[in-house]
Amino acid sequence: MIENSKCECGHQNPVGTVLCESCGKPLFEDSQNDADTPLEMRYDGVARRSQKEDPAIIDRIWSFFSSVKIAIILIFLTLVGASLGTIFVQESTLINLKTTEEFADYYEETYGTAGLIYHALGLSRTYESWWFVGLLVMIGTSLVICSLDRVLPLYRALSKQQIRKHLQFITRQQVVYTGRIEQEPEAWVAAAAQQLKRKRYRVWQEGSALLAEKNRFSRWGPYINHIGLIVFLLAVLARGIPGWHMDQYVSLYEGEREPIPGTNYYVQSDKFNLQLYKDEELADNQKGTNVVKLYETKAKLFECIDVCDDPTKEPVLRQVQQHAIHVNSPLQYKGLKLYQNSYRQHIRLISVHPSLMDTATGKSFGSFDLMMDNPKLTYDVGPYKIRLSDYYPDFGFDDQKRPMTKSREPNNPAFIFRVSGPGITGEEVYSYFPLPNASSKDFQESLNAAFKEAGANTGRFTFKVANMFQQGKMEGVKYSEFSTFLNVRVDRAMPYIWVGAAISMIGLIMGFYWQHRRIWLRIDDGMLSLGAHTNKNSYGLRADVASTLGKTGITVTPKELDNRRNVR
Amino acid sequence: MKRNRKTMQYLILAAVLLIGGYAIGNSLFSTSEVLQKGDTPPGFRLAGLDDKAHDLKDYEGKPLIINFWGTFCGPCRDEMPALQKQYDKWQAQGLELIGINLGEDRLTAESFVRNVDVNFPILLDKDRQTLNEYGVRQYPTTFFISADGTIQDVVVGGPLSEQEIETRVQQLMMP
Repeated sequence: MIENSKCECGHQNPVGTVLCESCGKPLFEDSQNDADTPLEMRYDGVARRSQKEDPAIIDRIWSFFSSVKIAIILIFLTLVGASLGTIFVQESTLINLKTTEEFADYYEETYGTAGLIYHALGLSRTYESWWFVGLLVMIGTSLVICSLDRVLPLYRALSKQQIRKHLQFITRQQVVYTGRIEQEPEAWVAAAAQQLKRKRYRVWQEGSALLAEKNRFSRWGPYINHIGLIVFLLAVLARGIPGWHMDQYVSLYEGEREPIPGTNYYVQSDKFNLQLYKDEELADNQKGTNVVKLYETKAKLFECIDVCDDPTKEPVLRQVQQHAIHVNSPLQYKGLKLYQNSYRQHIRLISVHPSLMDTATGKSFGSFDLMMDNPKLTYDVGPYKIRLSDYYPDFGFDDQKRPMTKSREPNNPAFIFRVSGPGITGEEVYSYFPLPNASSKDFQESLNAAFKEAGANTGRFTFKVANMFQQGKMEGVKYSEFSTFLNVRVDRAMPYIWVGAAISMIGLIMGFYWQHRRIWLRIDDGMLSLGAHTNKNSYGLRADVASTLGKTGITVTPKELDNRRNVR
Repeated sequence: MKRNRKTMQYLILAAVLLIGGYAIGNSLFSTSEVLQKGDTPPGFRLAGLDDKAHDLKDYEGKPLIINFWGTFCGPCRDEMPALQKQYDKWQAQGLELIGINLGEDRLTAESFVRNVDVNFPILLDKDRQTLNEYGVRQYPTTFFISADGTIQDVVVGGPLSEQEIETRVQQLMMP
């Protein structure tokens, strides 16, 4: 359908224009006939940019995304999709699982068949799924195109407004007044202009016609809000850029130092503290229960500064940060954040300080530090030289009755030492089990007896931590009581997300707390026609108009000005 | 003005396609954490028991077996002799074999290797990072990598018999 979009005032309007861009006359026949109803003032009646006579494919894509209806459908679908992701936990929170099968098993075990279906549908990765990201991208596109399509024509329309509007445009506003003016028209208009200026309106006068306008900037609020949302969305998508986003977990026992994968950093836990509330600090119904007051990891962050790539040598580290990590108080360094995630109570030996003793007299020849991780291979104790020849962190036997370690953890460490020195021909072999429990001691004794029988030792030495228990404390033994789990995060998009959110908030405030008010009036043959429009708070606008009229000699109540009273 | 508008439209749609395509593509092709047949194994640089640094690149262009093992794992211990025998048999034809120890102490690994009489390179994955990068969850896990650098087979669990290793090596050797 080809519309004749030329207005009677001579202005050529683009296709889709509702109200003449120049004089404001309604352009559609049906709206011209229905002279009582207030005008549709959306976007000041200008055409959206995408409304064209013969659209090409690009124009069709453009107008698809330009549609508010489509935008609402997209937002609705995204909301539904996002809520599906909250039914069961997401895979990304299950830090110990990796393979698809493991996840499938987990969902089936935890949630039954529903869980299996949930996982099979891919809903366990809702927020990373192609369709969810696709929806976000489409919303972003819609935001850009909707805004551009409306804000530019609106800007043009508002920056070159005609002062003398078409009579129908004026009388069909939501706030109207018509009445006879007894005074000289231009003088009355000047007086009204004076009143409106005092109400901080900007006023333009053209003979006996007047336009008063206030707070136009609030019209830009929604578009500024959209710019903020676009920045926000782009920032979220930017997390996909390599190096912008990291989210992983490190487990550390007290004293352990581990590299952070994918970075040049190492993190060390010096101590983990768990504090419970005392009974007197708790409410009555919580007394006697364990309520945690504090989870704390005393952590240090190191940066590798030399020999970082040579696995045969120890890297050279420099401490760059130190922090007591609490919940919501992460260790921070150059965009890297380490959060407290969880902990495990688990006794783990770190080192012991045994002495080499004379079995018969109990006399000590000296003592040495014995680490459970990467123990030194030789020790000088008194006149003797001790060589470590075998180490089993978790001692046991394999199915062929050969000694082996059952795991990597020093749960039941066993050391095989070879002692040489004065009075010893060759080397004597001794086993040493540092753990002070009965089964360890049994192993130690029976192994040493077997070595003796085989002629590998004479039984004159014993390895032992002297005075291990002193006043109820363990001496000569270092151990970790807790393992801490830290969440290592990098999120370089975060500042942009905040900027986007701030811009969006500014836009919202602009749009919500100010209203764009406009008043048009003209006097034809002593007959005053006044129309006024605002996008919200028409009470305020009517009060403005009534007070202006009142001060220029026309008494009218705000309520009488409401043009919509006929409709409602 | 009209022309400008058209250019603007194309520019914006192109930006949308670019950014959106990248984001959606990322989510479509997000690499699984577990290595599978046809994948390229991630690089590593680890110290060997021979006190030298071993880089995966050193083995480029040769058929390669990577065996993740630990002395604490029964099947790993059991399959070591079979691996050694197959290595002896195929070494002349260019087969390379690496055993990556699962983060144990050097001493523990060394004394086991000495007892079993293994002479292929044993590397120490001290911080268990290579283990994680390869997505190894069960021990032993053995990767069979063809000369063109792609994973041809992954065997999780064991022990592998000599026959099982040999059929896979023969496949690796096929041109």
